Amino acid sequence: MSIAEVAQIFELPFMSRALIGLVVLAVAAAIVGLFVNLRDLEFISDGLTHAVFPGLVVGYLVGGTSWILAGALGAALVGAVILTLVDRRRVGSDAGIAVVLASMFSIGVVLISRSDGYVAELEQLLFGRLLTMTDVQLRQIVIVAVLAVVVVGATARLQLFRAFDLRGYRAAGLRDLQVDIALNIAVALIVVAGSQAIGNLMVLALLILPVGTARLVTRKLVGIVPIAVVVAVVTAVVGLVAGFELSVSHGLALSPSAVVVLVMIAVYLVVLLTSQTWLWAARRGARRRADSRAQNQTIGGVPGRTVQGAP
Amino acid sequence: MNQVGPDVIHIAGAAFSYGAQPALEGVTATIERGDAVALIGPNGSGKSTLLKGLLGLVPQTSGSLRVFGNTPRAARRITGFMPQTDELDPQFPVSLRQVVMMGRYRRLGALRWPSKADQRVVDAAIERVGLAAHAHTRFGELSGGQQQRGILARAIAAEPQLVLLDEPFNGLDKTNRDALLGLVRDLRDDGITVVTSTHDLQLARDVCSHVMLLNRTMVAYGTVDEALTLDHLERTFSGIGVEIDEHTVATPDHSHGATEPIASPGVDALHDERGPHGSHGAPRA
Repeated sequence: MSIAEVAQIFELPFMSRALIGLVVLAVAAAIVGLFVNLRDLEFISDGLTHAVFPGLVVGYLVGGTSWILAGALGAALVGAVILTLVDRRRVGSDAGIAVVLASMFSIGVVLISRSDGYVAELEQLLFGRLLTMTDVQLRQIVIVAVLAVVVVGATARLQLFRAFDLRGYRAAGLRDLQVDIALNIAVALIVVAGSQAIGNLMVLALLILPVGTARLVTRKLVGIVPIAVVVAVVTAVVGLVAGFELSVSHGLALSPSAVVVLVMIAVYLVVLLTSQTWLWAARRGARRRADSRAQNQTIGGVPGRTVQGAP
Repeated sequence: MNQVGPDVIHIAGAAFSYGAQPALEGVTATIERGDAVALIGPNGSGKSTLLKGLLGLVPQTSGSLRVFGNTPRAARRITGFMPQTDELDPQFPVSLRQVVMMGRYRRLGALRWPSKADQRVVDAAIERVGLAAHAHTRFGELSGGQQQRGILARAIAAEPQLVLLDEPFNGLDKTNRDALLGLVRDLRDDGITVVTSTHDLQLARDVCSHVMLLNRTMVAYGTVDEALTLDHLERTFSGIGVEIDEHTVATPDHSHGATEPIASPGVDALHDERGPHGSHGAPRA
């Protein structure tokens, strides 16, 4: 497939909207996702996707599609504060998060199941409507995503210190509750922004996979977000084109956001495999060199000791 | 060190508790500018508790405690803390310099960009702990001793008046140990007050002006010569199977099941001071 053909696909208004939405989300999610990764907040983020769900439903039931955002924002703020407080309990915080996650999700399902034709609506809320996004929705996504980046950007320095060394952070007289709530609100905003485009459940992949991939490639802080953004944008384009081709040329009806996520996972796995193989080869090389050095030191037929576990 | 200076820390009958039972009680001491105090006691005796108490991180349940005439929490601004580094994630993607810059965050707040002056303070702190060549090395790639010096550099970068060190000499080789001893001396020369927990009586003798002996309550506090007597040591380490003679004081290291020497030849002086009593029998539990 030539570049011209790809460009042609994105000349279709619904495809260009999907691309812009995805790219904006991916960039914002990579920035917020950096701190999710550094703080190991993946499970809380999953909790937040579920906490936002009943908000989506209530918004939808109250005022239809145009009210989804308002409902989701309300649920996001409440969910972010509740999950921050639950997570600060040192013992049993995972159980607490799981309880919040399950109960919020059940409430959402119960609410939506009271409306007619709920299977279609449920599917839309969970998996998004990437190709039927309106201009208004696209604008909402951009605004909410930018808001999430502003919240994390304003606290980025404190987030870094807190993630690295909580004891040192507290001893320095800095407060952690505020930055914890700020980060969870930013994650919740990404979930809200992503819910309408790629769906409530798929948005977690955007937060976690590009940064996870980037951390396999670089160990430098400054490199992580740019690499994650490149990974996210490339996989978004490839996923959209692949989804388009499969459905238009091959007649397969697919969720485009699921295809994008699968491409992201594929890239993550390839990079993981490559980096592990590379590490393994480097270790083996180091061991071989150590062995041969030990052999050279063999005196009077006594074999040299094999050095194990070389870095 | 006997001249009257402004009190840095004033503690009277203080107790610190995590729960219902006090973890440490009966602490009374006045610590002046430029003093260096070694906190000595067995594992679980309250050394770390006192350090956290001085930061306002452990509730103080009785008595009074002022740091620079203020509450410990308010004094955090000019207090530097070097926690043990063993809990830090070695994969965390920050360089040594980025870690030391964290010492400036309290001054910078969330939004202000580090100025030239901030950069200079950070570079000077790294220089001072002798890690200039490693400034851009990933923190997790440094050795244990270098990491501890790096965390000390972070504390120094905050330009503190009081530095608290939690077991700074655990697991250090001779090079790192000497470097750290020199640093503590430098800090004192600059008029900075140092409080350090340690297992190492030699450290107390070499660089500290005062010693506080703890065993869930304060056993003794005073200058090194006043407080570091065999009698006090026996009371501090009683009931936990310590062995004390004129050369060594050893306490079982619970984490490794081995006997960990907590002092070496330095106890000679202590023996001299008390006269030739010969070998003291160890109180065995």
